[in-house]
Amino acid sequence: MNAWLVAAAVLMVAGLGPVLWCVATGPLRRRVAAQNTGTLLVCLVLLLLARGYARPPYTDVALVVALLGPVGTLVYARLLGPEMGDDPQQGPLTKAFAVLATAAVVLPLCVAEGPGRSLVKLLLIGAILVGGNVISSQALAGARPKEADDHG
Amino acid sequence: MADVLIALALLLVAATATAAVAVRDPARQALVLSVLGLTLTLLFTVLQAPDVALSQLAVGSALTPLLILLSVRKARRRSLDQVRAEKEAEEGGT
Repeated sequence: MNAWLVAAAVLMVAGLGPVLWCVATGPLRRRVAAQNTGTLLVCLVLLLLARGYARPPYTDVALVVALLGPVGTLVYARLLGPEMGDDPQQGPLTKAFAVLATAAVVLPLCVAEGPGRSLVKLLLIGAILVGGNVISSQALAGARPKEADDHG
Repeated sequence: MADVLIALALLLVAATATAAVAVRDPARQALVLSVLGLTLTLLFTVLQAPDVALSQLAVGSALTPLLILLSVRKARRRSLDQVRAEKEAEEGGT
């Protein structure tokens, strides 16, 4: 068990535990935001696992998570938007946490990887993670109760 | 030592599954179910089965919650329509 796997285990417990708590309790907007953070954390853990097991193909799973996570959050924001209109907005801390956590995991991985195709892939995954998180948190903040929806 | 990771992933799956049962509202349950799909993905990856993890990811964290949300929405709309129709029938009768 090397340092990457230890980091993955720590991130798994310290990250996904609170995510699970926030998804199961509290107002609906916080639950959706917690689910979004959960996809980000799982993607980072998968990257660490791929490095720790020394199996580069495992990175593909992380790429799929990075792509599917924001899409899922957009779907939730669209379908649950009328219900979570009155919930308190998320502060800027969630977005800052997402960017910081991504940088804290992806940059050491890039340094350990060295130049090559897999470095480009890692950077691409990091960019997708940050961009997708910004987009989905904007969609969450913009979800308002719709008046015209009931008549449709 | 790799067993530690497997045990952690198993614990996470068990905790998430319990939470999914404990949450009663179906729309909120869909959110917990998608987190359950994510933790199962982690478990399969730790067990060195990334192909299973990929299919679990597609089914568990994307398709199942979407299906639940869509059917909850349709059922709610239908019951709303029924209430409205009954009200109109009452008003028409009196």
